Amino acid sequence: MCMAIDGGSEAHSWVRTVIIGRRPKRTALRILVLVVVCFIVFRFVLLPIRVEGMSMMPAYKENRVNFVNRLAYLFHPPARGDVVAIRTSGISIMFMKRIIGLPGEQVGFHHGHAIINGEILEEPYVRTTCDWELAPKVLGQNEYYFVGDNRAMPAADHTKGVAPRWRIVGKVLL
Amino acid sequence: MAHCGEGALMKRWVWRSVLILAAFGLGVWLWTILFPSPDRVIRKRLANLAQAVSFQGHESPVATLANSSRVADFFTRDVEVKLDVPGSSAQMIQGRDELFAIEQRVRLLLGSLQVQFLDINLVISSDKKSAEANLTLQAKVAGERDQIVQELKLQLNKLEGSWKIQRVETIKTLSRMERHVQISSSD
Repeated sequence: MCMAIDGGSEAHSWVRTVIIGRRPKRTALRILVLVVVCFIVFRFVLLPIRVEGMSMMPAYKENRVNFVNRLAYLFHPPARGDVVAIRTSGISIMFMKRIIGLPGEQVGFHHGHAIINGEILEEPYVRTTCDWELAPKVLGQNEYYFVGDNRAMPAADHTKGVAPRWRIVGKVLL
Repeated sequence: MAHCGEGALMKRWVWRSVLILAAFGLGVWLWTILFPSPDRVIRKRLANLAQAVSFQGHESPVATLANSSRVADFFTRDVEVKLDVPGSSAQMIQGRDELFAIEQRVRLLLGSLQVQFLDINLVISSDKKSAEANLTLQAKVAGERDQIVQELKLQLNKLEGSWKIQRVETIKTLSRMERHVQISSSD
């Protein structure tokens, strides 16, 4: 009987050690630090997002969870081919698009191909064919051209176009 | 003994300070409840508008009429709604009556509609009689796979003590600067 009580007490102590550690105060402090670090990281550095819609298929499938790295463009400007998050009036809902046109470039579509400064842009990530025809337009000094990878839909129904640099929240991580 | 007296006095002052701070906090809170700032009033009004526009399932004609009228009440008589969204030509709705008619039609046509206004940025004029709101509309229509996401700019005016929307304009997050051209048969 006594042994049973001792065994129970030992088990209880073992469970307690696993859950809250030998020094509960230190464990509480660690948890607090972890919570603060997670809060800072996932609020200001890596924004968690859930992909909705199919405009970035097949690279980004619907309902996939991803992250937006807000520090990606701290030391260099956005580059062609980058998949970025574009802010609306805030960051609760963002557009996820690929950059195909850089500031000062002439962007258009001909026979379904993206034409940058008069030359066809190689886009291995595009798996669908289309017949988009968009008249070429020269981008401003602070403007980028964004488009989705899924070009299966008519050009008029696909959300794409020009936005200034400040709209780019960050680069999609995965 | 002297230390004890000083300690008790200190404790009394700490308690008094805490009580004064609590009373001050309560006063500020009551003030904001009784006299809310225009920012707060507009945000609440927009939340109420989103709720009024949303509906679940088909409504009876009487309910449609009443709810459409409730929605129209959020707008001024001379309201202007300028819509320019991908996939359709630009449209202009002028006046509360036209808006009311469209609202009724939408309620009859759609199975359900859930509307939310997100990320509301407000700029209130110095005389606090007008305001501009930049927000993102998120709408879910029954039977539609994708949600509708549209950035909007609203102009609000304070009329007879109530904030009413005078102008609604769609904002192109990604501006389509170019026109879609016809597919050419040559080359």
